[in-house]
Amino acid sequence: MAPHDLRRQYKRPAISDQQRRRELSLRRQEQNRREAQLQARRLASTLLSLE
Amino acid sequence: VASIELPHKQWPELVEALLSNTNQLPTHTRQATLETLGYICEEVSPDVIDQDQVNKILTAVVQGMNASESNNDVRLAATIALYNALSFAQANFSNDMERDYIMRVVCESTLSPELRIRQAAFECLVAISSTYYEKLAPYIQDIFNITAKAIKEDEEPVALQAVEFWSSICDEEIDILEEYGGDFTGDSDIPCFYFVKQALPALVPLLLETLLKQEEDQDQDEGAWNIAMAGGTCLGLVARTVGDDVVPLVMPFIEENITKPDWRQREAATYAFGSILEGPSPDKLMPLVNVALNFMLNALMNDPNNNVKDTTAWTLGRIFEFMHGSTLETPIITQANCQQIMTVLLQSMNDVPNVAEKACGALYFLAQGYEDVEQSSSPLTPFIHDTIQALLNVTHRADAGESRLRTAAYETLNEVVRCSTDDTAPIVIQLVPAIVRELDQTFAAQSVSSEEREKRNELQGLLCGCLQVMIQKLGSSEPTKSHFLQYADQMMTLFLRVFGSKSATAHEEAMLAIGALAYCAGSDFAKYMQEFYKYLEMGLQDFEDYQVCAITVGVVGDICRALEGNILPYCDGIMTQLLKNLSSNQLHRSVKPPIFSCFGDIALAIGENFEKYMVYAMPMLQGAAELSVHTSSADDDMIEYTNTLRNGILEAYSGIFQGFKGSAKIQLLMPFAPHVLQFLDSLFLEKDMDDVVTKTAIGVLGDLADTLGSNAGILIQQSLSSKDFLNDCLSSDDHLIKESAEWAKLAISRAISF
Repeated sequence: MAPHDLRRQYKRPAISDQQRRRELSLRRQEQNRREAQLQARRLASTLLSLE
Repeated sequence: VASIELPHKQWPELVEALLSNTNQLPTHTRQATLETLGYICEEVSPDVIDQDQVNKILTAVVQGMNASESNNDVRLAATIALYNALSFAQANFSNDMERDYIMRVVCESTLSPELRIRQAAFECLVAISSTYYEKLAPYIQDIFNITAKAIKEDEEPVALQAVEFWSSICDEEIDILEEYGGDFTGDSDIPCFYFVKQALPALVPLLLETLLKQEEDQDQDEGAWNIAMAGGTCLGLVARTVGDDVVPLVMPFIEENITKPDWRQREAATYAFGSILEGPSPDKLMPLVNVALNFMLNALMNDPNNNVKDTTAWTLGRIFEFMHGSTLETPIITQANCQQIMTVLLQSMNDVPNVAEKACGALYFLAQGYEDVEQSSSPLTPFIHDTIQALLNVTHRADAGESRLRTAAYETLNEVVRCSTDDTAPIVIQLVPAIVRELDQTFAAQSVSSEEREKRNELQGLLCGCLQVMIQKLGSSEPTKSHFLQYADQMMTLFLRVFGSKSATAHEEAMLAIGALAYCAGSDFAKYMQEFYKYLEMGLQDFEDYQVCAITVGVVGDICRALEGNILPYCDGIMTQLLKNLSSNQLHRSVKPPIFSCFGDIALAIGENFEKYMVYAMPMLQGAAELSVHTSSADDDMIEYTNTLRNGILEAYSGIFQGFKGSAKIQLLMPFAPHVLQFLDSLFLEKDMDDVVTKTAIGVLGDLADTLGSNAGILIQQSLSSKDFLNDCLSSDDHLIKESAEWAKLAISRAISF
């Protein structure tokens, strides 16, 4: 049976830069998706309010 | 065999047969039986074995651990078996008498003359601390005494487990207190017993004592783990658990030891200081940090011992991580000391690899603290040129492969770029061709050994990561974008070459960089598609490295937004693969919600051309929607996953409705409208949506109303979503929910006015 691994993070940052790159990319993609949606809705709203 | 057969009720006599062995001689049979019971408990899920049998297993195991058992091998096997059986013992831990008995036997075993038994017994205590935290109160005083004795006197493998017990208690209390903090009702499933706070006056001196037991050159050994490291790590967790209260208990130790001639004392004092910087309030720490900063800078330059310098550089990093940034009222880095700090850090980059690595880390957090400064200029501006040069020099050091130094230097370069401002943009732009050249050079060596290949892949990953950060930074403003786009062709050629390697990390980094490039290049990205497509498909098929798959799905979204309708020629292939992925049991579940979102990206890009995929995509969306409605009795992870899934499904619907807007083919969507509205109503009734899902859900209502208009007027009016749900969202405090609700209100009013 494998012994319980005790080792914890030692003098290392909790989040690696690689993890940060992933998260920042995801955030950018989410933001871009939201902007694309908003743009479509904004266009529709303008048309709707003109009617 | 048991792990296969027991879940199917196919070997019902097994446990009974084993248990009948436990009272028999010879000892090796009893030992083997207990080991087998341990293996079974480790392998099979607790619900597979009846409570009656669990009781008998535990009785046999605890009997085997008892002091009356004279054979040490049997006692050890029983102790390890208990460790594995703990997750089966829920009912037994709820019964006071049974729990008392188990705890007594475990505690007694920690006093065994046999080291392996003591170690295994402490392992049981560690596991109990996380599995049955809420049952520990009656025993905590005894456990403190036992662990304290072990930490002070016992051999290292046992002492390490004893420290781990307290680290694990800290983990539990940090989680509980975080839940208290996040919830204004102060509610948590498990109450906090404040064991750490109560033990604090005795626990902290115990941990401080361990800090003096360092091993020579422990910082140069990646795999090292010893009592000093464990003690400091535990002290850090204690500080996070109790906050300010730890400070007065640690400061005398620091003051007494920080200037001593013995390096162990100076290192221990520095490590203690670095460890308590997360948790206590800035008000409490600020005066201490202001005094310490100058001392640390001097020590980093002048201390004769590398261990001390390593910990000093790490502590400076912790100071910058937790005590520097826009959220703090008084800055610790000022015009008066900035020059000195930068000089020391840049000079330390020429130190031995482990010290230079920590200096890079300190610089990383120093740069991060200026993340929110205004875009035009930063206090780091005067130092950017030299900093970038120093970091590039580090990457070229012959010994940069040691202590993760090269990685640390590139990652710090990333952070310096992320936090750079307009006035240093020309310097960052100059960095692009330099990194492109470095990446190009990695392909120069033809035949290399597997070790060299691994190093090359790692370097390619780092360089792609670096380029990704630069693309994202420079692409965010028009003037810099046009400058760096001149390197786009070169970069793309190199990224595609990286896919020729067999490294998942390098693939992931190249894919992320390509996504960022697609976003910046916009419609111009079309020229790369023909060559890039096969790698895109490869990424989508990479189930094994599911991170690569997930990132590729995100990049499909980037490309949809960049190319819009021009992505159409590639959609058959992409959709086929995405649908396959959704149907697969092999693909990690976390990739499935982004695939649904990606359907929305594709539909929004290609509009009514999405028609031909509807026959496959819609049933998948409907099936997933039905599954995702109920989360009752699910754990926190499952609830979080379900909300991510709901959000993905809703984003797909949103993209599909918006994509068809104004098309002659909107009638194709009508058959799906009742289901979508029903899905929204069900989500509303479940009352367990998070804010993101709420925002997306109410937005879908608007998109549906906008696209289908009067065709769906009656359906919409009949739905709960168009009334109660909409009203709730219109009065939400969350501005994104409110914004989506305003949109839905407008679209609905039009749809039902006809």
